[in-house]
Amino acid sequence: MKELQELARKLLSDGTVKVVIGYEEGPHGIRAAFITDPAQSEKLVFDKRCVQNLVAYLNPRRKHLIQLGKPAIVVKGCDARSVAGLIREKQIERGNVVVIAMRCGGVLENPENDSELTCETVSVRCAGCDVREPKLYDYILGVLPPEPPVNPARAEQIAVLKKMSSAERWQFWTEELSRCVRCHACREACPMCFCVQCTADKAQPQWIDPSATPRANRAWQTMRVLHQAGRCVDCLECERACPEHIPLGLLARFVADAVERRFDYKACEDPSVPAPLGLYRSDDEEEFIR
Amino acid sequence: MTRRFLTHEEMASLVAELVAAGTRVIAPVCAKDNAEQIDYMPIRKFEDAKLGVSLPRRSLKEFFLPPSEVLLYYVQTKDAVDIREVPTEPPPQVILGAMPCDAAALEVVDKVMSWGYRDELWFGRRESTTIVTLLCGVMDSSCLCTTVGLGPDSSRGSDVLLVPVEGGFAARLVTSKGEVLLADRGQAVNEALQNSAEAVQSEARKKLKQTLPAIPAEFADWLSKNFDNPVWKTLALRCHGCGACAAFCPTCHCFDIVDEHDSAEEGSRRRNWDSCQTSKFTVHSSGHNPRQSQSERFRQRMQHKFSIYPKRFEEILCTGCGRCSRICPGGMDLPEILGSLLAMAETKPEGSAQ
Repeated sequence: MKELQELARKLLSDGTVKVVIGYEEGPHGIRAAFITDPAQSEKLVFDKRCVQNLVAYLNPRRKHLIQLGKPAIVVKGCDARSVAGLIREKQIERGNVVVIAMRCGGVLENPENDSELTCETVSVRCAGCDVREPKLYDYILGVLPPEPPVNPARAEQIAVLKKMSSAERWQFWTEELSRCVRCHACREACPMCFCVQCTADKAQPQWIDPSATPRANRAWQTMRVLHQAGRCVDCLECERACPEHIPLGLLARFVADAVERRFDYKACEDPSVPAPLGLYRSDDEEEFIR
Repeated sequence: MTRRFLTHEEMASLVAELVAAGTRVIAPVCAKDNAEQIDYMPIRKFEDAKLGVSLPRRSLKEFFLPPSEVLLYYVQTKDAVDIREVPTEPPPQVILGAMPCDAAALEVVDKVMSWGYRDELWFGRRESTTIVTLLCGVMDSSCLCTTVGLGPDSSRGSDVLLVPVEGGFAARLVTSKGEVLLADRGQAVNEALQNSAEAVQSEARKKLKQTLPAIPAEFADWLSKNFDNPVWKTLALRCHGCGACAAFCPTCHCFDIVDEHDSAEEGSRRRNWDSCQTSKFTVHSSGHNPRQSQSERFRQRMQHKFSIYPKRFEEILCTGCGRCSRICPGGMDLPEILGSLLAMAETKPEGSAQ
């Protein structure tokens, strides 16, 4: 923690960056911090409660943050994949952000609780983690902690859904999505939702009904998840933001699995590897064109 | 004011009679998929109600202003449009175990719903609903009710205020609707019962540990004078602009009206919850957006609640339920933000230089 605070102080004092985006202790547990004054660097913390992916705050839609100037951002190995995503898709330039990566031994599902990491408390994000030692960074801090326990909840949900017939799955998602009030919090909290105009907000023509009806909710979430194909980094910010606790990450995970199966691609922390949605390959399977 | 004592059994038979007569009874219950979470939902019997467990996740707003509702149906023919309006006199409903902050919010929002135009759907539901509020005993550090002039035993917006006492409830019949519901039930409250009800009320007030002072009347003016204060640029840095706060706020009432087609000829006109926290809220057809960034959108939220609405309607557009702070995925905290603004207003009452 000291190491992180001192680095932040140095980067701010020597003018390398204007703001350090990291984690701090808030009234409801860990939350994002925006440190612009070197003297405030000691507010920064990093521990197992830092579940949030802060890369959404680098998203160019956030004009109120851009005005602060060049940022440094604290990321875990998994979050670095979103930084790579934004660089890959030309939303930020690699040289315009300082990446401070933290070696990570897993995070809690709930940033408000400070409990031991167990199979129940660890974030489902952490299951199968292969980036405890981050690969994309300017600075890397901390000592590599041991592997976290695995929370089986997500894998169990996936197994249940895979066993369902397509009619049952349709029913499952219709019920889950019936709670959606179309607040679009999922989109706003997503680091990869950076469209200047979202199709869901278009009124002329109105591609998707704005009302919270089962039909429109399904259309909205289907569109969003398909646009996330091969782009979603499974950070689950959408799920954390959803006030109705709809398991949106589960939907995205199904699409991500299909992308991996069909295109041998997984969202990764190397921005030079192109993602399938932005790539033409002559050997793509196109069996749906007959 | 009439006070009645009702045992739990008398409450149960009241609910049973109402339900048998076709009245929808809404009460806090355990959520379908999460026993620790409380939602306002229709109940069939009194035992289903989970009274005084925790603040329901969503407010009562949706029973008066649903997230999406049809205003009219239309059918277009070659030369005409046939319009079918929806009924504005809904069947009666009773809300049992409302939170004082949720009940008060309805009365606050009544002001804008009758401003220039009387919203038939809102008032149709308001008039057909009897609200039985339960004294609040579930406050936490996000609560702000005393800051906005309410409290755990506030009866604003309620037809009946229930105070839990041994063996049942001491009910204060606040309005004539409350009288109609309960005047002939239970028994009169004697002095001993009255004393124990008052003790419960003062206990609830003591339990409340709100650190912020009540908002002074001058605050509304200070906010409008400080529209350009640089503080707004840094207050909302962590705000994602998701609008979950507005969806869960009992007093946020903005809506959008849209036409949606079911076929080339038929469709419906609906109104849907909207939020000033999204960029779409103010974007002009030219593409220009007067509220360019989240700083301006968050400023709007605060100005509307604590300056614009109080100046127009003499009401703060917040009943201190604290849902916005609890639900925020970015960790925005209204007590913290309001506290810093109130402190600024106190030290620099004339406002700040640029």
